[in-house]
Amino acid sequence: MSVKYQSQKIAEYFYTFAVVLFLVQVVVGIIAALQFIWPSFFILNFNTIRTLHINALVVWILTGLMGATYYVVPEESETELWSLPLAKLQFWATVVAITAVVLGYIWMGLSPQANSPIMGINPLNEGREYIEAPRWADVLIVISVLLFLFINFMTMLKTKKWTGIQGTLVGGLLVLALMYLPGMVYSKSMVKDQFWWWWVIHLWVEGAWEVIAGALLAFMLMKVVGAKREVVEKWMYIEVGFVMFTGILGTGHHYYWIGTPSYWLWVGGIFSSLEPVPLLFMVWDAFRTTREARNVENKAGLYYTVAHAIFNFVGAGLWGIIHTLPQINKWTHGTQITTAHGHLAFYGAYVLLVMAMIYITLPSIRGVKSFNASRAFQSFWWMTISMVFIVLTITGAGMVQVYMERLMGLDYVAVKANYNLWFWIIRAIFGVGFLIGVGIFVIDFFRLGKEPVPVVTAAPERA
Amino acid sequence: MSNKAARNLFIFGSLFFFVIFLGLTYDTMGKLDGRAPEITEQINAGKMVWHKYDCIGCHTIFGNGSYFAPDLTKTTLNKPKSYLRQFLMDPKSANPNASMPKLGIRAEEADDLIAFLDWTSKVDTNGWPPKPILAAAGGVAGKELTEGQKVYQSHGCSACHTINGIGGTTGPDLTRVGAKHDRAWLVGHFKDPAAFVKNSAMPKVEAPETDIEKLTDYMLTLK
Ligand code: HEC
Ligand code: HEC
Ligand code: HEM
Ligand code: HEM
Ligand SMILES: [Fe+2]
Repeated sequence: MSVKYQSQKIAEYFYTFAVVLFLVQVVVGIIAALQFIWPSFFILNFNTIRTLHINALVVWILTGLMGATYYVVPEESETELWSLPLAKLQFWATVVAITAVVLGYIWMGLSPQANSPIMGINPLNEGREYIEAPRWADVLIVISVLLFLFINFMTMLKTKKWTGIQGTLVGGLLVLALMYLPGMVYSKSMVKDQFWWWWVIHLWVEGAWEVIAGALLAFMLMKVVGAKREVVEKWMYIEVGFVMFTGILGTGHHYYWIGTPSYWLWVGGIFSSLEPVPLLFMVWDAFRTTREARNVENKAGLYYTVAHAIFNFVGAGLWGIIHTLPQINKWTHGTQITTAHGHLAFYGAYVLLVMAMIYITLPSIRGVKSFNASRAFQSFWWMTISMVFIVLTITGAGMVQVYMERLMGLDYVAVKANYNLWFWIIRAIFGVGFLIGVGIFVIDFFRLGKEPVPVVTAAPERA
Repeated sequence: MSNKAARNLFIFGSLFFFVIFLGLTYDTMGKLDGRAPEITEQINAGKMVWHKYDCIGCHTIFGNGSYFAPDLTKTTLNKPKSYLRQFLMDPKSANPNASMPKLGIRAEEADDLIAFLDWTSKVDTNGWPPKPILAAAGGVAGKELTEGQKVYQSHGCSACHTINGIGGTTGPDLTRVGAKHDRAWLVGHFKDPAAFVKNSAMPKVEAPETDIEKLTDYMLTLK
């Protein structure tokens, strides 16, 4: 089995870059974890390490999604990409821009004065979480994303087969691009700064990105178990619809304590506590569709798809709802509880999503019908068990922090350095377990389809 | 429900909620300035310094950011500015145990930062961070306070010092300080810490003689 359209192979470029950044992300994550135990453990300070960790994360998820889109759109439109050379240019331009940004962070980490403003703009690091990339990089990122959207849109125009999946996918990507813009305006007020900052962060992960996830879930269910388009697309609309109905006003759960009026406690509390509902629909959808599937060729793809749906609900939905009501968030806001949720949500919703897409599309890109899935399962369990324990550990640290610092009034530093020390140690240990899982995945990514398949594990021909 | 109906529900429903969101945003933007002091040039300069050194990469402000270091929204309410100034420019000179790195912050940058943090401390945050609700917080736990303890509390010494595990970690632990210094040293040190400890970051205790005496009596009981 091979790809239907040669230009779909461009996806592999993006996947490769994503996988390399994933490895970088987790290695620096472990350095960050060690700095909780020994603050001066590394030549770069914690802030630079953390910036690298979360930027690598966001960028690799985004490049992974771009690769997946370049695969899905030709397939849905039943035609080659509008311009393959332009897509390659977009890829290399992205790689160059990201590399420059990373070098800038490291330079700033080594000598902070290099980040002194030039004409009112910080040249290396904007000093705003997740969107640290400086203004010149913002412009390049916007150009790259616009080019990417343009190529896909022109491809769709070629045949005008407006399928629900690609419409929703590209629509989600368009909102993603638009929601980057509110993060590009400077505000003298820290309150307004954070207000618009959440438009980027929240409306990404709980809006546009979940819409993209819903569209890809529908695509994957069709691919791995041959589900009917009619049915998966209808459920997709319902899922992503409820994501938006709850998620847009759910932004209010970040407007409780930043200097905004108190009516946001009501708006945010009510709508955000409904946000897990569409995520539960997705779990149900995945189970219902795959339950009766027989002779599934791509077992790894199926596994990751269902795992994505489950952990999206657990990490974003459950670990989100526990601290989303204002009466609880008042105590947990800005503690390790937030970190625990951030990790499980990103892992379940987006790490597993991109990995599922890779396992579903890479075999045909490499031109193989089946592959040995044992490494895919091994890496899944190493990563998932480690992540669950990291999250439980950090949830424990968060509960201790909330109790001692927020309820008893003990000092932040005392709680961090004395009472929570063991939690930091355990997190670092499970971090190594997670790295092992990533290592297995990286090896699998580069070898998949390039080694002979042992006869016993080869899936039977489908009748 | 047909696919088309489901699609329309998604598109128009999303637009509907987005319009409401825009309306609330418009209303909020009109109210924000009334909930915070006016922003001067110096406050804005401090915000620029905040971004330049990527303080958010370790700290939170309004509870958002990184969880490696304390939230700074209300710091200027608890710590004197002279202390903060010294700490920002060279953390270890103010507190040998500090793990915040020396970032190269210049004197005027430190002043701007303090003006900025002073501004955030006055923003109406709907009561966040909340006051601790368990008894241990006051260090009282049901017992009657001695005269010296009252002075200790009213001067906010516990923002910087720990006694029996309660209080800040900025200055040395005072649980056994009575065994370390005599009365003359303590009284003199309160009046002018820097005269006794080189580069001391502790502010002078501005209090009547009788209160200094009470405080010293209290310190001497800590053995
Ligand atoms: C590499 C991490 C890091 C960076 C970057 C950092 N800090 Fe800190 N900061 C800390 C830590 C950790 C503490 C807690 C005390 C200690 O152990 O040093 C702290 C303490 C403080 C305190 C004292 C708080 C108190 O209640 O006593 C202030 C004020 C402060 N930082 C301001 C800043 C500002 C302003 C910036 C940016 C210019 C900044 N910090 C950048 C790590 C950092
Ligand atoms: C802004 C922080 C801060 C505040 C507020 C503060 N101190 Fe200090 N204190 C320090 C620092 C830093 C030191 C260490 C340098 C020194 O000895 O002068 C110190 C040292 C001391 C010492 C000597 C400890 C030793 O082990 O040598 C005593 C006693 C003391 N403080 C008592 C007090 C009392 C009582 C108050 C309240 C009136 C107070 N401090 C308020 C920061 C503070
Ligand atoms: C895939 C979806 C999601 C992802 C990736 C995600 C990720 C995150 C991250 C990274 C943060 C921390 C942001 C920061 O650095 O300050 C955060 C905060 C938060 N999230 Fe989510 N989240 C998701 C969905 C949800 C859902 C569905 C809910 C609610 C039901 C929720 C509730 C919250 C709350 C209340 C906070 C604020 C925590 C605080 O006050 O400190 N999240 N989320
Ligand atoms: C795919 C796996 C991972 C994902 C998706 C992920 C995601 C994130 C995110 C979103 C943040 C910002 C947290 C927030 O604002 O709430 C973060 C911070 C952090 N991560 Fe990870 N991470 C992963 C793996 C790891 C690993 C393996 C480690 C090491 C044990 C690690 C250590 C850290 C640390 C120490 C921080 C700083 C948290 C803080 O400020 O308190 N991460 N990570
Ligand atoms: Fe959110």
